[in-house]
Amino acid sequence: MAYKHIIAKFKEEAVLLKALTKMQQEKVTLVDIYGPFATHDILRKFTRESKLPYASIIYGLLSLTGIFGLMYYTSVIDYPINYGGKPYFSFPPMVVIMFLVTILGTTILSVLTFHGRSMVFPGKPTKIIDTDVTDDTFYMVVDQNYNPEEIKGWLQESGADEVFEKEF
Amino acid sequence: MIASGIRWPMIAAAKTNNEITRELVAPNEDKLPVWWYVGMSLGTIMLAYGAWAFYTSLTQGLGTWGLTNSVGWGWDIINFVWWIGIGHAGTAFTIFFLVFRQRWAASINRTAEAMTVFAVLCAALFPLLHMGRPWLAFFIFPYPNTRLLWVNFNSPLLWDVFAISTYLLMSITLWYFGMVPDLATMRDRSKNKISRAIYGFFSMGWNGSMIAYNRYETLTRMLGGLAAPLVISVHTIVALDFAVSILPGWHATILPPYFFVGAIFSGFAMVLTIMILLRNAFKISDFITEKHLDSIANVLKFGSLVIGLAYAIEIFIAWYSGVEYELYTFFNARVSGSFSTEFWIMVFCNAIAPQVFWFKKARRNLWILFIVSIIINIGMWFERFIILISSLAEDFLPSSWTGYSPTLVDIGIYVGTFGIFVCGMLLFIRFIPIIAVNEIKAFKKDGN
Repeated sequence: MAYKHIIAKFKEEAVLLKALTKMQQEKVTLVDIYGPFATHDILRKFTRESKLPYASIIYGLLSLTGIFGLMYYTSVIDYPINYGGKPYFSFPPMVVIMFLVTILGTTILSVLTFHGRSMVFPGKPTKIIDTDVTDDTFYMVVDQNYNPEEIKGWLQESGADEVFEKEF
Repeated sequence: MIASGIRWPMIAAAKTNNEITRELVAPNEDKLPVWWYVGMSLGTIMLAYGAWAFYTSLTQGLGTWGLTNSVGWGWDIINFVWWIGIGHAGTAFTIFFLVFRQRWAASINRTAEAMTVFAVLCAALFPLLHMGRPWLAFFIFPYPNTRLLWVNFNSPLLWDVFAISTYLLMSITLWYFGMVPDLATMRDRSKNKISRAIYGFFSMGWNGSMIAYNRYETLTRMLGGLAAPLVISVHTIVALDFAVSILPGWHATILPPYFFVGAIFSGFAMVLTIMILLRNAFKISDFITEKHLDSIANVLKFGSLVIGLAYAIEIFIAWYSGVEYELYTFFNARVSGSFSTEFWIMVFCNAIAPQVFWFKKARRNLWILFIVSIIINIGMWFERFIILISSLAEDFLPSSWTGYSPTLVDIGIYVGTFGIFVCGMLLFIRFIPIIAVNEIKAFKKDGN
């Protein structure tokens, strides 16, 4: 039998925030919250800080050493060219390209990490609760836990516009 | 009590989330206005002229341009620098928004980013054609080519290749990522299957999950942070194309900051032009209020002061150096010689005209705002003309002095890039919400 989640519908962010606080107080397992925009109060309460910036630092360092290695290899080892007696290895003009490629590499790899981690990519089939989720409605998706009826009661008490069960 | 008054309300009238969606996607859903078709037709005519000029350049070579032995960089590089300058505003707005938390920029950054993407595409066309054999353009990328040679990493021209490619990619990424939630809104509002499928494809299955939003916010903030030094570096590197040479008028340490401020200045002027047009064309004056335009005008006023100071410093340093070539370029060629008309047009347009924005009445008058924004765009074109042509046409050796005038092919390529820009912007207006709907909803209560 398909598993149904408890879903609460909210039109107001403030009411949603109240319901979220209640759910967290009662230690109810939440699946996710869906909405038309990111409200920072909800993000702070519901989600953990993303670790993407740490990955980005690693990508930045990789890009930096990679491009430095390439420039050193091409200018000094593979095909050294004497430009008017200037040294083969000259660090200052390398700085510009090292700077740019660090940004380029970090951007590309961070974006790919985001795609991989969030599993969003162009062409991904759409699976939404309702079309108004991208317009003006928030949905809180709650696991049945051990006390579904009690949870529905709490959600209604908190001011949810509608509470229903649905496969999602 | 003085209210903290972080800023004015971002939206002029109280609106529900649903009203915001409806009003902001109206340009995408309603019947197209007549001016859109007129604009598209004009853009297509410009594109056709540009295509002819492009074809002529490819088949007959650069001899069809107005270049001479002395003026080896003509309209192509003037227009390249001009378009790149305009392309700075979009990312600058995004940085304002994401890094400096200037939330009022949420009403403007989507269109400014679109403008950036099209402007950088137009800019990239000029050096590509200037290569003479653009089909070998891939030679500029670092790979061991047919002679197993590598590119010269010490050349500012190669730095430019890296800077512009990185900037274009970053601008497209910021633009696209910023619009994903709005593409999902468009997908869910679509009434026919084809548009739902297209919006669905590009909205990446976006379902409004807060867990995804959390990562998305982190990513866009991070990209904004990465783009900030990039914006500064791109026009700095364009300036280095000139500054590392030995020509009088180019060989100056002030060029990088001067170019950067000039880029932000011209970009903001173009944003102002476009926002005024859009504000009047669609009913979005509740989202792009007089205060938004006032803020852009203030940035222009500041930019104008810095630009004016840069002009004065250049002339002062030329005099102070006592170098006869520098003295000639600035005092004879530019201030009072063969190029004095263009020089004084530049000074008037960039350093004097924007001073009208000291008056609040001028900053609140749409006509004055519009006219001054156009004047600045013209002035910034003349600035690039003065820098390039006056230094090249009259350099160290009087026997090689020459005049410069563009040919119909030169003009055609420039007009053609306008065609790309106009058509690109009109298609953007038609298919993508011109204001970031989800960001407006998120910040509507903050008033900042």
